[in-house]
Amino acid sequence: MMRLLKQIWYYLDVSITCLRVAILQMMEYPSSMIGWLLSNPIQFLVGFATIQFVVSEFGSINGWDYGQLAFLYGLSVISHALSMIFFIQGWFMGWVVVEGEFDRLLTRPLSVIYQFFFMNVNIMGFTDLIPGVIVFAYGCCKISFHWTLSNAMLLLVLLIGATLIRGGIYILLGTTTFWTKSTTDFGPFTQEIFDKTTMYPLSMYPESMQFVLTYLIPIGWVSYYPAAAMMGVENSIVHSPGAVWLTLLVGIITMLVAAGVFHIGLKQYESAGN
Amino acid sequence: MEDKQVMIEVNHICKDYRVLKKGEGLKGAFKGLFTRESTLLRAVDDLNFSIAPGEIVGFIGPNGAGKSTTIKMMSGILTPSSGEILIGGRDITKYRKEVVKNIGVVFGQRSQLNWDLRLGESFELLRHIYRIDKAAYEDTIEVMDEILGVKELLDKPVRQMSLGQRVKGDLVAAMLHSPDVLFLDEPTIGLDITSKYALRKFVKEINEKRGTTIILTTHDLADIEQLCNRLIIINQGRLMEDGNLTEIVNRIAPYKTLVVEYYDEYAPEHEKCELISHEANMAKYRFEKAAVTAAKLIEELSAKAQIKDVSIEEAGIDDIIRIAYGQ
Repeated sequence: MMRLLKQIWYYLDVSITCLRVAILQMMEYPSSMIGWLLSNPIQFLVGFATIQFVVSEFGSINGWDYGQLAFLYGLSVISHALSMIFFIQGWFMGWVVVEGEFDRLLTRPLSVIYQFFFMNVNIMGFTDLIPGVIVFAYGCCKISFHWTLSNAMLLLVLLIGATLIRGGIYILLGTTTFWTKSTTDFGPFTQEIFDKTTMYPLSMYPESMQFVLTYLIPIGWVSYYPAAAMMGVENSIVHSPGAVWLTLLVGIITMLVAAGVFHIGLKQYESAGN
Repeated sequence: MEDKQVMIEVNHICKDYRVLKKGEGLKGAFKGLFTRESTLLRAVDDLNFSIAPGEIVGFIGPNGAGKSTTIKMMSGILTPSSGEILIGGRDITKYRKEVVKNIGVVFGQRSQLNWDLRLGESFELLRHIYRIDKAAYEDTIEVMDEILGVKELLDKPVRQMSLGQRVKGDLVAAMLHSPDVLFLDEPTIGLDITSKYALRKFVKEINEKRGTTIILTTHDLADIEQLCNRLIIINQGRLMEDGNLTEIVNRIAPYKTLVVEYYDEYAPEHEKCELISHEANMAKYRFEKAAVTAAKLIEELSAKAQIKDVSIEEAGIDDIIRIAYGQ
């Protein structure tokens, strides 16, 4: 027990140092920070404006009214932003494998997967948080969300779970490059799929696709099911707010599977020639 | 208990790479999409040796001989296909996180320093990673400053450093946690004379002062001559030679070269040596050290032709390499 606590404290201490380094590094390039600050929020605010247009034309999307859609959209963008801060590296794993960038991580006394993500924390991801929080806050007002302690707790659980699901899927995709040795950039592809499936009600897709996105690739648990559970929107699976914990469970399972596959892949790692 | 005096033990390691077969032309490329035929390429073939604490061991071999693969297996980066590597008695593949606490690694071509930040920030991160307390850190910096003069670099951003300064930074970074074993993979590549000198001084001094075991790969033969008390030659993944430098030289190149300048263009032959080149007044003879002495040879040659000047060349490390590499 004592050893476990010490271990957690150790990883926490290194994480804080990594965060410090990431912030210092970001401040070396103030102009790029301004660029991201302008472009990222605009991208998502425009995306949300599209939803507003659709709703004003048709009244609702699959029974979700405007406020509920804003709540869903906001949650999705927030977990997207968190996954960008901690797990964006998964998108570029092909490049990292081919360039032999895992060499250094393997010579250090820390978990490789931990180092891979925390040595490269992407502070810039917070620029995505801004539109997420704005749209989410707007949705909360519209549906008169009760800011009780238990609701706040559920939100936290939801966001941790959703971030883990996203991160886990990024890692699983990236891990394929241990075998393929290709330098595919998974970014555009992944973001497209996640945007289309987490920012709108999943119920608007065919049932077969819903099945896949619920049980095989658990994207439905990122925002659709937990948001429906919290707001009591009718759906096929979850019926009470407590179901938000399922998102956390799915997140932990996805991450464990991803870490497992990552470690099998790492044994295949061949470094890079000189 | 008896001290076994083994720092690194390499037991029959092999490393195979899987290489995809690619067919020729468009037809082959299509075929490759469906059938993934691959062949195994053996990069390291049954290497077996052990290294005692405090040794400085030089790894040499031609490009693609398996040097880097071996060093990468020894430092926990690559997993051997078979065999095992023990460092301080523990298997590095099984207990990577524990074992690497005791090793430092410097790749000449790849820095572990943060490009954007001052050198001190990279050190600070390592201080946390290796759980080095502030006092021990200060001590190490003090010692390293005496050897390399690193203090003046602490506040300099790494991207503004010269290659020589950056390598100094990497050397200190690898020594911060006072490892017992230090791996240097082509550390002198691209360095100017002064920086090379500084690096060699560093290797000698940490070996003397801290008893650090050092394993280095290099293409610079002067590194080997000046630093290593032991030489391991690898070719095509196999161990070709393993031993003391002079001993290897005496064994596989037991000859000297006598260079003679005559007054005339005539160069006489001698039964105990071989005339290996003859241009104008200059002649080169190679003779076995055991067969004849240089003095005797000069005396007998001068009886046949008038000699103006002589010099003797020892077989050196480059002869060894030429022979060992089979060129």
